[in-house]
Amino acid sequence: MHIDVGRQIGKDPWFITGISILLFLGFLAVAGPFLVPHDPYDISFSPLHPPSADHWLGTNDGGMDILSELVFSLRNTVIFGVTAGTAGLVLGVVAGLFSAWAGGWTDQVIMRLADIVLAIPSVMVLILVAAFFQPSPVVLALTLAGLAWPTTARGVRAQALTLKNSLHIKAAQHMGGSGRYIIARHLMPELFPLYLINFAAKTRMAVFMEASLAFLGLFDPGEKSLGLMISYALQYYYLDIWSNWLMPPIMLLSLLIMGATFVTISMEKIFDPRLRKTV
Amino acid sequence: MTIQIKDLTISYQDLDHALLALDHLDLALHPGKITALVGESGSGKTTLGKAVMGLLPKNARTKGSISVDGIQILGLDEAAMNQLRWSQVAMVFQNGAASLNPVHCLIDQVAEPLLQKGIVRRKAMAAALDLLARMGIDADQAGRYPHELSGGQVQRGLLAMSLILDPPVLILDEPTAALDAMTKGFITKVIQDLRSAGKTILLITHDLDLARNLADAIAVLYLGRIMEYLPGTDLVDSPCHPYTLALVRAFPFMDGMRDLGGIRGDAFYRMVHAHTRENGRTHAHVHVAAPDAVHQGGHAPPQGCLFQPRCTQAVLECSLGDVGFTACGTHQVRCIRGGIAQILSFEKVAKSFGKVKALAPTDLTLMAGEVFCLVGETGSGKTTLASIASGAVAPDQGRRIFQNRDMDRWMKTDFASFAPKIGMIYQNPAESVSHRFTVFDIVAEPLRIQKQEIDPEKIRTRVLAALADVRLSTAPEFLKRYPHELNMGAIQRVCIARALVHAPDLLIADEPTSSLDPSVQAKVLKMLLGLQIEKGLTMLFVTHDIGLARKVADRIGVMANGTIIETGPAAGIINHPEQACTKILINSARGLGTRSLASIPGYEKENICRS
Amino acid sequence: MRIWKKNWSIPVFVYLAAALVMAYASFRLPNLLPGDFVTAMYAGSDVTLNAEQEAELRAFYQDTHGFPGYLRNLATLDWGYSHAFMAPVSQLFLQALPWTLLLMGTAHVLSTLLGFVLGVEAAWRRGSLLEKAVVGIMTVLEGIPEICSGVLLLLVFALSLGWFPAAGAQMAYADHTFGQWIADVAHHLALPLATLILAYLPGNFLLARAGMVMVLESWFVLTARAKGLPPVRVRYVHAARNALLPMVTRFGLRFAFMITGALVVETIFSYPGLGTLLFNAIAMRDLPLVQGIVLFSAIMVLVVNLGMEYIYNLLDPRVGHAY
Repeated sequence: MHIDVGRQIGKDPWFITGISILLFLGFLAVAGPFLVPHDPYDISFSPLHPPSADHWLGTNDGGMDILSELVFSLRNTVIFGVTAGTAGLVLGVVAGLFSAWAGGWTDQVIMRLADIVLAIPSVMVLILVAAFFQPSPVVLALTLAGLAWPTTARGVRAQALTLKNSLHIKAAQHMGGSGRYIIARHLMPELFPLYLINFAAKTRMAVFMEASLAFLGLFDPGEKSLGLMISYALQYYYLDIWSNWLMPPIMLLSLLIMGATFVTISMEKIFDPRLRKTV
Repeated sequence: MTIQIKDLTISYQDLDHALLALDHLDLALHPGKITALVGESGSGKTTLGKAVMGLLPKNARTKGSISVDGIQILGLDEAAMNQLRWSQVAMVFQNGAASLNPVHCLIDQVAEPLLQKGIVRRKAMAAALDLLARMGIDADQAGRYPHELSGGQVQRGLLAMSLILDPPVLILDEPTAALDAMTKGFITKVIQDLRSAGKTILLITHDLDLARNLADAIAVLYLGRIMEYLPGTDLVDSPCHPYTLALVRAFPFMDGMRDLGGIRGDAFYRMVHAHTRENGRTHAHVHVAAPDAVHQGGHAPPQGCLFQPRCTQAVLECSLGDVGFTACGTHQVRCIRGGIAQILSFEKVAKSFGKVKALAPTDLTLMAGEVFCLVGETGSGKTTLASIASGAVAPDQGRRIFQNRDMDRWMKTDFASFAPKIGMIYQNPAESVSHRFTVFDIVAEPLRIQKQEIDPEKIRTRVLAALADVRLSTAPEFLKRYPHELNMGAIQRVCIARALVHAPDLLIADEPTSSLDPSVQAKVLKMLLGLQIEKGLTMLFVTHDIGLARKVADRIGVMANGTIIETGPAAGIINHPEQACTKILINSARGLGTRSLASIPGYEKENICRS
Repeated sequence: MRIWKKNWSIPVFVYLAAALVMAYASFRLPNLLPGDFVTAMYAGSDVTLNAEQEAELRAFYQDTHGFPGYLRNLATLDWGYSHAFMAPVSQLFLQALPWTLLLMGTAHVLSTLLGFVLGVEAAWRRGSLLEKAVVGIMTVLEGIPEICSGVLLLLVFALSLGWFPAAGAQMAYADHTFGQWIADVAHHLALPLATLILAYLPGNFLLARAGMVMVLESWFVLTARAKGLPPVRVRYVHAARNALLPMVTRFGLRFAFMITGALVVETIFSYPGLGTLLFNAIAMRDLPLVQGIVLFSAIMVLVVNLGMEYIYNLLDPRVGHAY
């Protein structure tokens, strides 16, 4: 089954496109700082300069090199997304598995807590926290993760419960498999696709949130972020900066979210047993 | 309303191959008749139902014709088909509750077709309620949602829904699957009433009991082809096609006697592969592929009889050419051999030893693939008959036909080719083997005698395979053992291996387990019957124990006074014996003993069955 | 998101708890700021408070009645005073609210209806070239965030082509008849509405289609077809009704996205709703205003989500009949 799914997903053009985009952007984010021509915080250039051989995308109102700024912004946005996605996934998986395995009151408490957290609109909490404390992006990403875990927890718990009652797990128990053995050898691997989907979906949401919050001015104005770049560039919409200042971050942000969307949709389609026939 | 299906071929197109679901199928459904379609899963039963409703999935390709009262419906567009659906032809799908929409209550779904026909809501509801009431569903239950109804209520509701427009044709797909016996009985009664009302009914089921109770005619479907078309009443007692017999044998009839037997081998899929030739053109042809071979590109030969790889009476011709229908009594069978073949038949065969008349003129017929039990008291002539069947004893008079050849002439002219056809298992295993032979030599003996194999390596392979078949060790130390080192059960297994090593068609077993403990007997018998199914053997089983015969036999022949006094299906003989001797035999076996003898009509003196 | 399994009152408690958590966080936050909270709250802001105003602010958050008193204030629309806008927070909130409701509500209703119908029809025509194209387009659109589509629409249709206004919800000080006013509002609404629909539609479409594809394979749809029902009835009365369920279930999960998007879109088009108000409040670091907007938007989200729980139960008889 695993091989089959692997082959199927490798054939899906959406997945291939999505993962290629993500790999490319991931490479840019990781290797970018060594590739860019200038320090993005260097304000020594003449402001609002159109593209030139030295500044491929020109300079912004503060006299910074836009290309360098763009790469650093992408890097920050990706770091935010991956941090929130990973932390949210880990929290969710741990809570979900623990809840399913413990059962009884522990399960009830965790799930009711999940319901409450799920009901709270996360963006509102983020705005409050950001506005009041102006924390670093990492803290905000972790806050977002703290609000986004319940979806994963619920999904993992539901799947784990189904699995827990499945015959091969019962058989493993009868064979004398310990709880740790069963979680490690049976539950974790079987739920793996669920993690992938959740991670992709969460990262996508986090990237979207980061750009939006930055755009709304909730980040330190000195930070580099795609949302902030769009927000600043938009203030000079009456100048001829569309192609070199406004469009690049818009395109990059769209590509990033598109890549994550394609991968999520493709994986959901292939891993969902009910949708599988429709592939 | 009559439905004529002619030359109907349906395949499901997949990416690079097609699954052949129905293959040149002809079937006629008549008013006031129930036609049952039976067969294993994947034989195309449901496909036919969907085809008549015009509800095949998009990837289905059809050829041939389906006509309803002369109107061709294959290829009709949706609008025209919608005119026919439900008002002319209604269908109850399998899967019960899944056929009801979970978000609408039962009565709304039952009344819906009426409302769509423009009947006012009040009248439609009243009609639906009335119909549901006739199905034993009250007004309260009618207003419930599907998840609030029991499986039986759902099935009765579905039946009501199919009848709401009073269609002349009904297709019922597994109407009683997963139902308890009471509900099943109720639905059976309803279907019978519908037949009396003149409906044309197609019953799709794998429940052979339901089919034989309800159907006027039964079509047995295998891999999309009708293998046998027979009257419903003949299904259990006189099937003509080996496949039908195998199905019957596998079905847990309430009055079934013999232990359930599966059908040898696995069902296949039929795929149409499109291969690209070197000239770039593609050409399609049908392959029969085993389920696990589908993805590996392996396939069985496409020619000949579809059932041939699993058949108990396959001969070379079965794998060649196309197989049409032939008559077999009132049945139609798709079998080159004209249905279940006679493997052995006796005409007035008699034998005396000196002045002792061991066998009066006797007729006997053995059908390929069956287990025939000869039952009778000691001295009734069982062993003589078995010996004559095996060729060991020549009869004084009468004719023996084995595999369509005169047995006496065959033995005289070409004994080498005759001998391997029959395997023997004897009453006393210890005596039937030489105590000077090792296990290996015992089993290898027939091969050496018959010179089937010369190469010692091949002999060894076949001996080991035969020993493995009877679940004996194939370790070198075991092969070197002598009979006296083995227990009785093991010796009998060695004897069975010896009887099977030369791949006989007929196995004659004379009291094969009477010298064994009951516990060992049970194991050896189970194994023997398993081998019979797996290898497609015909078996003549001789026993004095009618209780044993009942667990083993498809048919039983009762012997008394040196002749067969009664033959018939095992269940018939046991439940409705006709001859006094048979009754005595059965009653004795049941432990009633002499007490009941007086109550048997025709009983005069104790030795009525012994001359 | 579905919580309700057996007891109809459980969702009420859950959402009430969520609202209380939000309110308490909002009550405690100013006190958690480092140093004196009045100074901290207005640090970096252009506003300078006089002694009287400071005292008022202190009183609002350090009410002797504590949290219950704060809740009472909230209930009586006493949400504090925005010193940046020189107006009570509740007044600012209620002024902006109608525009947000107009924008989001319209976007929501239109994108849900359109997404649902398109999804149902697409699933019905699965495998056709048109369907594949539409699914492809929708998948790509799903990957474009509101920030991007909004800015692009603004640049092309407002700034470059000049077909639509670039800011505001209506022409200021214009002497319009009622009809002209409606046309003017619609004209201003067009671009932000289009942006939001572009953002919401693909999600609704993909969900509806996926749900419908699954439902179409079920036996009851085959039965409905066998009953000779008109295709439209099979599609909507039998299939779509069931395909609606996953859409409603996922609604709550998508709400966070939707709100965020709406805030961004309002800001891009300077639409005088809650998003723009929030943007300005953040820009001027007027924390009481930020707090008020956030808290009451959150409570509205909670009310909508709670409503969805009950709508789900109306749609699916299998959940229970407890009311």
